[in-house]
Amino acid sequence: MSTDMIAEARERLLARAKREGLSTVGYDVIDSPIGPLWVALGPKGVAAISFGREPGEPELRRLVRLFGPGIIPDRRRAAPAARELDQYFEGRRHSFDIPFDLRGITPFQARVLRTTSRIRYGELMTYAAVAHKAGNDRASRATGAAVGANPIPIVVPCHRVVASDGTLGGYGGGLDAKRYLLAIERTEVPTGGWPKRGS
Amino acid sequence: MREATLRATAARTFGELLERHEREIFAYALRLTGSRHDAEDLYQETFLAAFRAWPPPHRDNERAWLYRIATNKAIDRTRRRRATVSVDDLRLAAPERDGVTVLDLANAIRLLPAGQRAAFVLRAVEGRPYREIALTLECTEEAARTRVSDAMKKVRAAMR
Repeated sequence: MSTDMIAEARERLLARAKREGLSTVGYDVIDSPIGPLWVALGPKGVAAISFGREPGEPELRRLVRLFGPGIIPDRRRAAPAARELDQYFEGRRHSFDIPFDLRGITPFQARVLRTTSRIRYGELMTYAAVAHKAGNDRASRATGAAVGANPIPIVVPCHRVVASDGTLGGYGGGLDAKRYLLAIERTEVPTGGWPKRGS
Repeated sequence: MREATLRATAARTFGELLERHEREIFAYALRLTGSRHDAEDLYQETFLAAFRAWPPPHRDNERAWLYRIATNKAIDRTRRRRATVSVDDLRLAAPERDGVTVLDLANAIRLLPAGQRAAFVLRAVEGRPYREIALTLECTEEAARTRVSDAMKKVRAAMR
């Protein structure tokens, strides 16, 4: 019994599942310079990106809540997102054309992440500024939590959100990954971030 | 490849179920059918049936659930084809008597209750160990032996 045999059988199984409307989300694990990424495509575009080979608990719960259990491995379906991510990592893509689907999160988190999604390539915004733009000046900490729980990192560029003192803040994929992404966009990132302005 | 047996929680998505069990179910289908083509069909039918019947009925027993679906699908296929090819296998289980046809045997098997039928096919056709039959049918090894023995008796009686 070879792996090919299984792969071919799986292809045909997935085609049938799709024809029967049993498949709602297709995912694939793609390799990237910051490690494997679990990428899931739903009916309205990229529904989730997780660091690693499988989604985290809350992420999977959100997807199942939104789309039911029909979440299946589907390389072909995930391919457009994989292609754009590859181009991004090669520095050849500055914005993503593929739509993303931020449903299944709180209205506050959605506002924060929509603001985050408008930060342009190579630019930075502080958590406080994101909180302000999202309409709640005083919710800086909650903004940090909302950014940290971003279900679609990279495409929704939460790595461009940093702390007011110039340090990098946090990142779901680890600070090395955040530094790497910023370095793609800005050529060089000091370890730990940037020195505080005026210091 | 993750160890399916070590997982305490049931699969939450079709993908999880597939990634955990597709290899062993395909291997099982190959053993049950003896051909790649039929094994692929059986693998497909098994997982599609599992998807349609979602969620798995027992939290810790999705593996046995899949085996049971595969077993029943295999029996259905055998039954559908009994006048053509697959029944040849059943000849192995037939007592040596004049005038007994494979078709007689297939009919006798068809009359068995589902649990006994699966037990009979797994044992008499596939020659699988009782330990595995018990796992597939979600019963104790002793119960598996009883089912096979009861099935044998019924089949013999039906063919007398």
